[in-house]
Order: sequence, then structure tokens, then C-alpha cells
Amino acid sequence: VNDLGRREFLRRLTAAGLTAAGGWWLAGCGPDTLSPTPTTGPSTAPTRTILGEQTAQPPPASAEPTASAAPPTALPMASYPHLAVARGGEPQALMRRALAALGGMERFVHSGDDVIIKPNICVGYHTYEYAATTNPWVVAELVRMCLEASAGRVRVMDQPFSSGPEEAYKVSGIQEQVEAAGGQMEIMSSFKFTRSAIPLGRDLKECQLYEDALTCDVLINVPVAKDHSLARLTLGMKNLMGLIRDRPSMHRNLGQRLADLASRFQPTLTVVDAVRILTAHGPTGGNLGDVRQLDTVIVSPDIVSADAYAATLFGLRPEELSYVRAATDMGLGRSDLANLQVEELSLG
Amino acid sequence: LANRAAAPKLAARRWRTLRPWTQNAALLLFVMLFVWSRRGGWPAMLVNLPMRVDPLAMLAHALSARIFLASSALALLTVLMTVLLGRVWCGWLCPLGTILDHSSRLLPASRAAPPDGARRLKYLLLLAVLSLAMMGSLTLLTLDPLTLLFRALSASVWPAVDQAVTASQHALYDVPALRSAVSALDGVLRPKILPPEPGFYRLPWLYGGLLVGVIALNLWAPRFWCRFLCPLGGLLGWLSRVSWRRRQVNDQCIACGTCARVCPTGTVQAEGYASDPAECTMCLDCATACPVQAIDFPAKYELAGRQPYDPGRRQALVTVGGAAAAVALFGSDLARHRPHPHLLRPPGARESALLSKCIRCGECSRACPTSAIQPAISEAGLEGLWSPILVPRAGYCDYSCHACGLVCPVQAVPPLTLGDKRQQVMGKAYINRDRCLVWSDGIPCGVCEEMCPVPGKAIWLEEVETTGADGYAMGLQRPHMARERCIGCGLCEFRCPVVGEAAIRVYVSTD
Repeated sequence: VNDLGRREFLRRLTAAGLTAAGGWWLAGCGPDTLSPTPTTGPSTAPTRTILGEQTAQPPPASAEPTASAAPPTALPMASYPHLAVARGGEPQALMRRALAALGGMERFVHSGDDVIIKPNICVGYHTYEYAATTNPWVVAELVRMCLEASAGRVRVMDQPFSSGPEEAYKVSGIQEQVEAAGGQMEIMSSFKFTRSAIPLGRDLKECQLYEDALTCDVLINVPVAKDHSLARLTLGMKNLMGLIRDRPSMHRNLGQRLADLASRFQPTLTVVDAVRILTAHGPTGGNLGDVRQLDTVIVSPDIVSADAYAATLFGLRPEELSYVRAATDMGLGRSDLANLQVEELSLG
Repeated sequence: LANRAAAPKLAARRWRTLRPWTQNAALLLFVMLFVWSRRGGWPAMLVNLPMRVDPLAMLAHALSARIFLASSALALLTVLMTVLLGRVWCGWLCPLGTILDHSSRLLPASRAAPPDGARRLKYLLLLAVLSLAMMGSLTLLTLDPLTLLFRALSASVWPAVDQAVTASQHALYDVPALRSAVSALDGVLRPKILPPEPGFYRLPWLYGGLLVGVIALNLWAPRFWCRFLCPLGGLLGWLSRVSWRRRQVNDQCIACGTCARVCPTGTVQAEGYASDPAECTMCLDCATACPVQAIDFPAKYELAGRQPYDPGRRQALVTVGGAAAAVALFGSDLARHRPHPHLLRPPGARESALLSKCIRCGECSRACPTSAIQPAISEAGLEGLWSPILVPRAGYCDYSCHACGLVCPVQAVPPLTLGDKRQQVMGKAYINRDRCLVWSDGIPCGVCEEMCPVPGKAIWLEEVETTGADGYAMGLQRPHMARERCIGCGLCEFRCPVVGEAAIRVYVSTD
């Protein structure tokens, strides 16, 4: 009886070993031939792009790296303003009206698109009233509009630096609103981060990036506007740090590195939630005394101008933000607000 | 007559087939309660149930803390069950016992069992546990089978499983055909079964090693642990001396010796085939193996006879004396007089009362979503072995969590509302300017300030103009403590980007 047991045990052990070895071998086959984000070459320069569909075609593989990888700097299609700001109303209405001014979600999301929405859910300490996390109704309205534009699926995610995603999604109120709107909350898996090249990066040349945020059809960046010591304010570009691993390495030369990240992700849309802004003790907050209710939503396909405009809500000039300076210098977008066509809507 | 004789045997056989099912179900339940005792899992008063039905832990706690908690009354059920049916806990329910039975099937014992005299060890260990508890120390509950298994699962097995799963996921995710499957499986596993971020423990091999050691003793004799060492087995065995149902050999016996051979605890004597109810786990193996119907489990009201291996008066006195000496030595440990600088306790736990309350079960450690709570190694002296401490480099006390106090079965970590828990000071952070990137190397950082969860921040940044390495003027933000606001949660220490010892560390609070 014991003999049989041992034999059976050995048989299973062998089977398990073979399975494991097979998996290992298969895995070994992967990276060279199938890596979704090649680490060299300009052919992967982002094509999902900010400023205008006219340059959205992939560059020819033979093109010179600098030429083909250069970001589009042309203005958006003439019929739409560069940036829209809606003030004085409920968050959903602000969101919908501001985007409508830019041509509505149908301009950015097409039938069957895989959409990722990246709000700021940095911690799970307080409700949205404390303005440490993005307003849930702004996020949910985005989800709804994407689905109305026949998106294939809409995922919402962030990587909180405390509390864990499960708790932070819940406490922020975002999970409840997103799921009610038909979107899905995704917990970001460690194996979906891949070391990827940042072809346009001036300081940050490669980084562990969330692969789905690179390969999805539409990436919508939805920061809440708030205070941050090192970056002064955390807005659209700073919010992209939730899509990378190895965040401590960002702190040296933060402004340039944030601009480098923006050059790689190139979100389709940046929505700055300024319904409530956190004016001090960010990014975590905790005092309602530090919160100001502005009932404002800023939308632009240009992350730089969205951040630049948001800076003015805090009484700052855009160039006072190191990442706005760096990104403008790289030609990722425009921060010369005076020269841009800005649509201001008052819902009040 | 034949029919009447066959009846008990059939009954025993039917019961015997139930036993592995019961055992496996109890083991599965134990593991499930373990898995979902993590914050966000099942209700706290449900997941800590195994500890609350453990009469050894509850009795020792009551003796040591000098309080009987209503929530530990559940252990009386185990006592009642034992008084009625003997050590059925050991044979039918104990998760460690089940693991030992499984390992005996896989790797049978290959040597002669130690002499019966060794059985007294578990009674002496029980006596040591209880006399230490009378003197206010629960250190020996580290050897309770449930705490031992739970700690091994929490600080060894699960982190290792997580590492293995994570490594496989990374490898398999590179295969395009498997991507959606790997992704879907991850959605099932995390965060409910495995944490979203891997947990890391100090000395993980130690707790797993201890469990492997207990299992390895099975090579010497089946259920070696249960026969010779288990203090809970000792307590239940002692209660079984008055048990109502117990094994008895009737006059049908043909003296074939089968029962003595199959008995997993070796308590059936080679001659006469009598057994000690204190050693019998009511497994019914003998009754099903008996070729005739010679073994019954009749109801009986009498005290079981003394066994040669029962501890004598002198041995008992030496054990109690040894326990007293141990308590005196514990007290003379410098670690009890001058606290270790990083002896950080879970929120609300008071150092003065903790060691006489903590049953070392590890529930708080498992509940902690960041793996910040870990078994103390040397920080609290030998007396405080494996009591809970916060290790900020492993994890931080999450500002949105109060799971540890809720799950503690004995209120050693008090149950607090989230609001109250946020006010608890676990320690105070200090900046080491020699290691700080900003202070020492002029590199912009400020992660500690960014992380600080306290409203108003316990760390503030001083704007200074200095000269950079390139000779140009540069602005820097140097961190300073506003220590009166610090609660010692350790998030700054956890996230400090300095490799090795963090440039900001939490120390025991002087207040």
C-alpha cells in the first residue's frame, strides 16, 4: 500500500515538474519575440496622441527617430477650442458640458475602443470632500460618456501609495459611482508593468510602465487639482505617476521626468477636476479648511495646457510649475494660455 | 446475537468514514478563516473563532490577564465536547493533527517510537504554560498548536505561496496566448486571497521551519507532536480522564494485536489491549481494523487510572519552580527594563499589559494589510517572543485601517473605532540627517512629507537656497519633524527611498 502511495506521489511530482518546466520554457520563448513594448527604436513612439488626429498615423518604421518621434505640435482641429473650462454646476454637468465644447466624447472614443480612465486615488483615508482624490461623479460621467460613444470597455484604476487599492477605491467613492455608470475598477497587477523605452524622454529614458495604459485605445487622465510640496501642485502630469513602478526614482529632476512620462503616455484627454481643490497639506489632505470648492472642470486633449490652466486656479503662473516648463520646452503641448482658444462655460 | 454484536462495529465503521471528511473540512475552514482574516475579508469575530475555541489559549489568557472575556466562553464548548467524548478535538478537528495524519500517510514513521515515558512531556509543558500564565506571562503559548500553525501560515507559507504565484504570473504573462487567463486568475486571487502587493516577513524560514520540524517528528512516531509535546493535547487529555464515552475491549477479543498496531497514538497496550483515554484521540481506527467486534465505546462514569507516565509530584514541582525561575529571568532582561528603540506595538496596545494578554496567535499580524505587524524576535526580550510589533520597513500602519484591534480575540490590541485608532501614538519618527538625501546629499526628495497621512502633516519642509554640485544656486526642501503631530505610523520610513536603513525612522515614544 505504501509503495503504491509513493509511486503515485512520484508520478504526480513528475507531472507537476513537467508542467512547471513547460511553463518556464514557454515563458522563456516570450520576451524576445513577443514583447509588446520593444525597448529600442522609435517605431513605438506613441500614436495615440494629444493634439489632433492629423498626426495620429504611425510613423513609417524607416523614419529617422527624431523626426518620426517628434510629438505633434499642431493645433487641434480648427473647429474646436484648445481647452474648455466649465464652472458653477454639478460635477456631472460640468464634465459633460466642458467635453461637449470640445466636440463630445465621440471625437475621442470610437466604437469598440478599450478605454482606461486614470483618476487620482492616492490614498483611502477620506471621502472625496477632502479633495485628496478625484471627484467620483466626474469620473463616473466620463465612464458614461465613453459607453455612450460605444467604447468596448471602460476601466478605471490607480495605484494608491497607502491603504491598498481595494480600500482606496471604496473610501474615495469612485468604485461605487464607476460601477453604477457601467465601468469596471481594475486593480493594477504587478506583472502588467513592463520596462519600456521612453523615446522622447530627455532624462527618463526608460521606466516600468503599466502596459495596458500604453496599449489601450484611449487613455483619459483625471487628476484632482491639489497641493504638493515637491511638485508644487499635482495635476495631469503628476497624476501619470500612478501608472509606473519605481516611483521614488522620479523625485530627482521631477519636472523633467514628469514631462518625459507625459511624452510616453500622451493621454487622449486630460480632465482636471477642480470641483474641490486642496490648497495645502497635499497630496493627502485631511482638513476641510484646506479645501476650496471651485465647481470647475478643465478639459483638453493637451495635457500641458490643462495643467497650465489649472495652475492659475491656485494663483500660480504656468511656468512656475517645473513640469509645465519642461513639457512646453519639449513641445508636448502649449502653456501660453493667452494665445490659446479657451472656451469658458458658466453653468451657474 | 450475531446481529447485536455486528451493530456497534458497523456504527464505528460509519463514524470512521466520516472522520477524514470532518478533519479535512475543519482544516479547510481553518485555512479559509486564516485567508479571510486579512482586512477586508470576513467579520473579525468570525475569523478569530479558532483561537476562541482553543481552551488552552483562553484558559492561559484568563489566568494571566486575570479576566474572563465573554468572547472566550466558546472554548467551554471544546471542554464540554472533551468531557463527553474524549480527545475528539485531536482526532477529528485539530488542523495541525489533520496535517500530521496526512503526512503520516505520505511519509510513514520508520523507527521505533520513543518510550511511553516521554508522554509526560506534554503534561509538564501544559503545567509550564499554565504556571507561567498564573505569573502573568504567556510566552509558552507560542507552542499552542493553533498559534503555531497560524503563525507559520501567516509569516511563512502565504508569503512564499505569493512569491511563487507572482513569479509564475510574471513568467506566464509573457506568453500572449495565456495573458487573458493569467489576468483573469489574478482577479480571482488578488486582493482577496493574496495581497495586491507581496508581504515580506522577518525570518520566514523560522516559522515554516518549526512547522516542518513538527511534521518531521512524524517520521519517528505517528502524531509524535500530539503524543509527546502538544500542551493543548495535554489539557484535553487531562480532561479526557473523566470523559463519558471511552474505548473498551470486550470479551470477543481474539488477542490478534491489530488494534495495538494501527493505533496512531500508540496508546493500545501490547498486552490486554487496554488504552488510556487521555491518549486516545477517538479516531476509531482500532474499531474498524478489529477483525471481530471486540472494541466498544460505551458510556462510563469513572476516573481513568493513573499511568506510569503521568507526571509525579516532584516533576510537577520542578516544572512550576522552573516556570517561576523563567519569569524571574524574563524580568531581569534589559529588554523589559529599557525598551528596545524600535519596540513599536500595534495601535492602542499598552506595553505594560500586552505580554500578559497576548496569546501570540498572530491574528493581528495576518489582519494587517501591509504586513507591518510581525512577530517580535528579540525586541521584547525572550518573554515577548513572537508578540506583535510594527516593522515599518516591512509595512506601515495604514491610516484607513483598524483591523488588528478588531480581530484580536483577547483585546490585547484593543478594538478601536477608526477615529480613535487614528489618535493612537505608536512611536515617533526621527530624521537621520546624515542619511537623508536632501540634508546630506542635496538631492530633492520630500517623500516623507508627501506620505505623512496626518492632517496638517507631522513633517514640514524648509525651503533653502544652496549651491548644487554644478556650482549653481538651487532650491531645496529640507524635511523637519513636527513631532507633536507624529503618530508613528511608519509610512515615511516605509517609503523612504534611501536603500538600507531609512533616513527617517520610528522610535518608541518617550511620552
